[in-house]
Amino acid sequence: MKDFIALLSEPLREVSAHFARFFPNVLAMLIIIAAGIVAAFIIRRALLKLLEAIRFNSWSDRKGLTASMRKWNLWTDPAGAVVSFIYWILLIMVFMAGFSALKIPAIDNLVAQFVLYIPRIVSAVLILALGYIVTGFVGWAVVISAVNRGYHFARLFADAVRIFLIVLFIAMALEQLQVAPGIVVAAFTIIFGGVVLALAIAFGVGGIDAAKRIIERETKNGSDKGDVEHI
Amino acid sequence: MTDFHQTGIITTLHNLGKSSLERLEEELKAFVRLRPVALVLPALYSEFEGPAMPGIVKELAKVGYLKEVVLILDAAAEKDFQRVREFMSPVANVKVIHNDGKRIKDIYAAFARNHLEVGQRGKGRSVWLASGYVLARGLSDVIVLHDCDIVTYSREMLARLCYPVVNPNLNFVFCKGFYSRVTDRMHGRVTRLLVTPLLRSLDSLFPGEFPFLKFLDSFRYLLSGEFAMVTDLARVNRIPWDWGLEVGSLAEVYRNFSPLRVCQVDIATTYEHKHQALSAGDPGKGLMRMTVDICKAIFRTMASEGAVFSDGLFKSLSVAYLRRAEDTIMKYEADAAINGLFFDRNGEAEAVDAFTKAIAIAARVYMEDPLATPLIPNWNRVTSAIPGILDMLTRAVEEDNR
Repeated sequence: MKDFIALLSEPLREVSAHFARFFPNVLAMLIIIAAGIVAAFIIRRALLKLLEAIRFNSWSDRKGLTASMRKWNLWTDPAGAVVSFIYWILLIMVFMAGFSALKIPAIDNLVAQFVLYIPRIVSAVLILALGYIVTGFVGWAVVISAVNRGYHFARLFADAVRIFLIVLFIAMALEQLQVAPGIVVAAFTIIFGGVVLALAIAFGVGGIDAAKRIIERETKNGSDKGDVEHI
Repeated sequence: MTDFHQTGIITTLHNLGKSSLERLEEELKAFVRLRPVALVLPALYSEFEGPAMPGIVKELAKVGYLKEVVLILDAAAEKDFQRVREFMSPVANVKVIHNDGKRIKDIYAAFARNHLEVGQRGKGRSVWLASGYVLARGLSDVIVLHDCDIVTYSREMLARLCYPVVNPNLNFVFCKGFYSRVTDRMHGRVTRLLVTPLLRSLDSLFPGEFPFLKFLDSFRYLLSGEFAMVTDLARVNRIPWDWGLEVGSLAEVYRNFSPLRVCQVDIATTYEHKHQALSAGDPGKGLMRMTVDICKAIFRTMASEGAVFSDGLFKSLSVAYLRRAEDTIMKYEADAAINGLFFDRNGEAEAVDAFTKAIAIAARVYMEDPLATPLIPNWNRVTSAIPGILDMLTRAVEEDNR
């Protein structure tokens, strides 16, 4: 009978021993998360006050950051958006730190992976930001250049260049984030290759006469130039 | 049929009885290829529940020469906005700006944080924002505006209002509509009994010194809400956000253009819209508030032209005004008698008493703070302060109308 009672109580003892070992970890996690949330909230308020004090919203309005946000259909004030972004990053970090206090290997791995992933996120954001600036600059350069050369489809041409650059930079960002990298690279290669092939065929088949005229004109201009120089 | 007499220093285009809507619209269709037209409609949601708006929409649906119609909706919840979009759907190329929508509120927040005082909610601010949207789209060269409470609306009003500015051979940059507000009696008390006597009294106190007074007095119905203008004017105009909108707009037109390029056109034989209560006891409501704002706008514009006001001058003005207004009542009494119209002489005298008080209030406010001007900054200044604002405004309206 005693053996039977021991058989019953042994698992319970083991569970309570496990719980006694695990409980401080849970408590640590709860304390870290609670303190972290409070800290994140305070940082959020302080950051918001700081951005208001330096008139970040007004600066964003003047520098076009607000207009860029509206283009992406973000209808909040720039300071609020920046502060919310930082707040959520802090919250994620707080939860990661809290969960790591549990000392569970699977969660530790997850946290480690997340930490290693942060540089990739930063790179992707930088690529998108750079891409936005480059796309705008190149788009306008193409419009101005094409209009000055008298092309009728200047805006259409510029839009096509813009779309191409947007696709390129999004593909680069996704590749950096390792989001289905094989598919992204393959899709980009297929699309880019397809466009180039289509243009080559269009120009090659449809523009034989135009190409011939251009080459002939260039040749003629070259020979005329030679004559003038000779005279 | 009216007479063909030209009054004042601007051009008056009469309705001489030979107008043909079909001819006007055909000509306009040809002219708008050179000068595309945007129609701006400032409206309250309550006006969609009244009798005027169904008729206006029915008529506008038949108009084929407008490049765009911009309705700016005030005092409307989100579901009201969606109802209005549905209501306006028979009209081609229409966009509705939701003044109380999240995105437009964000635009107003951007103005506020950049210290651009765009004033309180009202027709002036709505018209200004809608003009900004027209400028942002860059599709139109002419902006036409009329109220949304016209019960007797016909598209001939719109055609006649557009025509002088849209016709490239006529060289007008601004055109104001006029009409007689007569049913079984004469309406338009503020114009008849306040503005005209006040302008003439001021002219008698500053004889010949301010051509601006002659300019204002040239308009047959200075307070009419219907006008057409070139979009350039919308870019440089600084308009008041309060009831001084009409006077303030005309002051800007006078400042920027020769009177030779300004006209007024007879747009309707009958015109009926909602009437406001006098509210003689409360200067913050009804016609009293309107008259105080109008008087302030006149005083401030004159001061900007160099007029020096003093307490003594304002006392003389009140007396001079009262005399002229009483004389005016007698003129209108005679006019009513010969036309068989009802004439409430006592009501008219009460209105004049109330307007005299309004002049005194406006004078006091002006003397306390002559620089407290309710003018909204012009769009050139706004785009200088916030370079991307026109893009933001376009995006807000496009998203709201998606």
